[in-house]
Amino acid sequence: MGQLIAGSLRGQRFGPQNLVLGLAILVLLVLVAYPMLWLILGAFGVPQDLTLDNFQRAFTRAQNYSALANTLQLGFGTGLLSMAFGVSLAWAVARSDMPGRQIIHLLVALSYITPPYLTALAYIILLGPDAGLINRLLRDVFGFSLGPLNIFSMNGVIFVISIHVFAFTYFLTHSALKSIDASLEESAQMLGARRWQTTLRINLPLVAPAITGGVLLSVIDSLALFGPQAIIGMPAQIVFLPTRIYATISSYPPRWGEASALSLVLVAMTVIGLGLQRFFLERRSYVTIGGKGVRSQTIRLGGWRWALLAVCALVVAMSAAAPIGVLTLTAFSKDWIAPLSLSNLTLAHFGTALFSDQVAARGIYNSFRLAAGAAFVAMAVGASIAYLDLRTNLRGRNVLDYLAMLPLGLPGTVMAVGVLLAFIRLPIGVYGTIWILLIAYSARFIPLATRSVSATLRQIDASLEEAGRITGSSWLQSMRRIVVPMARPGLLVAFLLVFIPAFSELSATILLYTGGTETIAIAIYRLNDLGQIEVVCALAVFTIAVVLALSAMVHFLSRDRTAPSEGVG
Amino acid sequence: MRITRRFTIITATAWSANAAIARAAGAETGPENTAQIDIARAKAEGRVVIYTSLDTQLVDTIIAPFRERYGIEVTYFRAGSAEVTGKVLAEADAGRSQADMVDASDLAALLLMKERGLLRPFESAARALLPASQRDPDSTWIVDRLTQGVLQYNVAEFGAAPPQHWADLGRAGMAGRVSFWSASSGDGAPRIITLAQHLGWDVVKSIARTKPLRTVSPQTMAQIIERRERGVGLLQNDNVAWRSKLQGKGTDFLFPSEGVPSEFGACGLLKTSTRPHAAALFHEWWMSAEGQAVLSKGGKYSPRTDVAPPENSLPITKMKLLEQDYTTYKRDRAKILDQMADVFGGEWGN
Repeated sequence: MGQLIAGSLRGQRFGPQNLVLGLAILVLLVLVAYPMLWLILGAFGVPQDLTLDNFQRAFTRAQNYSALANTLQLGFGTGLLSMAFGVSLAWAVARSDMPGRQIIHLLVALSYITPPYLTALAYIILLGPDAGLINRLLRDVFGFSLGPLNIFSMNGVIFVISIHVFAFTYFLTHSALKSIDASLEESAQMLGARRWQTTLRINLPLVAPAITGGVLLSVIDSLALFGPQAIIGMPAQIVFLPTRIYATISSYPPRWGEASALSLVLVAMTVIGLGLQRFFLERRSYVTIGGKGVRSQTIRLGGWRWALLAVCALVVAMSAAAPIGVLTLTAFSKDWIAPLSLSNLTLAHFGTALFSDQVAARGIYNSFRLAAGAAFVAMAVGASIAYLDLRTNLRGRNVLDYLAMLPLGLPGTVMAVGVLLAFIRLPIGVYGTIWILLIAYSARFIPLATRSVSATLRQIDASLEEAGRITGSSWLQSMRRIVVPMARPGLLVAFLLVFIPAFSELSATILLYTGGTETIAIAIYRLNDLGQIEVVCALAVFTIAVVLALSAMVHFLSRDRTAPSEGVG
Repeated sequence: MRITRRFTIITATAWSANAAIARAAGAETGPENTAQIDIARAKAEGRVVIYTSLDTQLVDTIIAPFRERYGIEVTYFRAGSAEVTGKVLAEADAGRSQADMVDASDLAALLLMKERGLLRPFESAARALLPASQRDPDSTWIVDRLTQGVLQYNVAEFGAAPPQHWADLGRAGMAGRVSFWSASSGDGAPRIITLAQHLGWDVVKSIARTKPLRTVSPQTMAQIIERRERGVGLLQNDNVAWRSKLQGKGTDFLFPSEGVPSEFGACGLLKTSTRPHAAALFHEWWMSAEGQAVLSKGGKYSPRTDVAPPENSLPITKMKLLEQDYTTYKRDRAKILDQMADVFGGEWGN
């Protein structure tokens, strides 16, 4: 399959397909390889020097050690909590007869799509050590002299990040649990195994790779999340690698070399994590016995299902309902410190956020156009890479695929350092414009688009395209009339999958924006610095509403896309 | 057309050289004083880019009438002083300067920019109205605002007996009740070091021992005190404390009798500006009595002797001010930030 297409690509040296695909490769090299090259060169002191001093500084300064140790501690903590939350909820939803499973599933998805810096802001309102709403309640009810919970601590950072990233563990484990055929468990039980023995000896080994993969993905994501690390870590006086990199550049004089060297440390950590994650998930291949037609066993819990529901409800209340609720409440309050009452409600902050405040209004406009631009570029490049990988025998296509996946291991802050170093010196007008943000966003989210389009292309048989070519269509015609129309829903999903995170991106933007190119995330971050919490919350509610609407669209399109094939299969 | 490698290299080299020459030519000398500003040319230049550490609400209020009067667009990048300075220096190092004018609440930053040859001499009409210590003899910078670090407190927490002196914040009973601010780039350091230099390190260290809650900006510190997360704020911006009190947020502030650090904010024009007339015109609007009155209405003290202090505020001459040594701060900044990290912990950009 695909040999005809591969052959024709080789035969036509200067055909339009080569031009399109060559352009995609060029864009990929400029967006990903060039900034990464500069990140490495920057760590060695280029262009001013060629030295190892930056590495020496990165590895000998106490501040950097402390940032590294805190980052590792954060990764360990979020890994543990993600496992606790993710596995228990996945089991409850996938295997038990607990009521409200669908709602719990949706709320986990909601906690994942809510930008984590908004969750961090919400938890400052909820768990500020003395004046946080929950601490006030606990003080009133139990008579504590001081609030017993302190968000401004390492545990606070771990908690806030965990309730965002545990979704990785949840979804992977949920999917693995759903794919275990009930006949395996029934066989074990027929051979006399008890329920706990079946769980330990059958279920756990089968889902262990998925759990490990999910936990590692949670850990990797937690290492890179600049927002909560800065918003909560800063008052807690805890420094992490991404916030350290940011401070190294944003202070004066900026120390680019040290920031690059520290970035490489962070890259090494995430690449090791991704390698491990891939290793564990690949081991999953022997797990899925059936694929289609798998019948999973539902475990009946009797009265215990209500207790389990209470536990799951508590987790999703903490991860989604409470933070979104408190942000909404604050956005509609005249005075957020005053008690809740009808006379304290207002729409004024939305007016300020959406229309009056120049930075916020500009941020909304820029976020929409940047997210759309990045989604288009990432989708186009991703589609080309996926096409090359699946439909051609081009030498080195695996390298391109790896290159397209490389940004997965690059935290936004690191990507921004590379992009800045690469483009600040170029005589073309990229630095200081919206284009530099477009470059960073496109590069960051190319892996999402590539994987999504790749999944779509796998569903379209290459013989359809071959048939078109045999009947005389050119490559462009067969693309336009056969491949693109069939892949359109999948391409739209890829577009939205990039648009959603790009719309609220903060980690890279914080280092790359300038006057006039502020985004909604920057407006939120900077207005929060300026103490305009009600306006910040109005912007947060707007952001969550946009992200939620788009996610619902992705869900709808994905369901629409898979429905016919399920019917056929 | 066959594109050879040689053709590509020659074209790229010529294009780069052309761009560099165009940039160099664009950065013309510009007016040297107010009288030389050509308003028609300023309007033709059409736009000014400023990098500032001033609150966006104040910046927007100053910009609006300027834009209306001259039809010149003003774009700004707003961040903390250190971040603004870092951006100016990074762009200058890369030869990609974007700003026409810079304003920072840390005079040491302007001194560093002057030392690096980034600022263009410009004799403002406001010079005559400022004391000599608040303007550069070479006219590369001029002080545009004075910010005092005051003691802000929550009225409900302290009633009629708030702490009166800086040393009071270091008492045992204050553990867990004090807040201070500094961005991760070390913006809060100049006023803390001034306090330490004038009153001794013991005072500062005793306050650090109360485990004060750190916030990233004066505004977020005000929030913390308003909602009583902490009861008292160390070295709060007087304009922020003034506004919080004016808005009835349950806070008040005082000037300890041993003195308050006074911080000079300053502005200057960038040598690399490609819009020198528009930039100079805006600079003069910023420093004019009208422009400075906007700052005063927002609670800031103007260095101009003909602009009144903020409403219901002490005249600056009635305060005991602890002066900062900007030259020393510029020279020893890295060492001072290390000291801050040792005493308070956390990130200081060092």
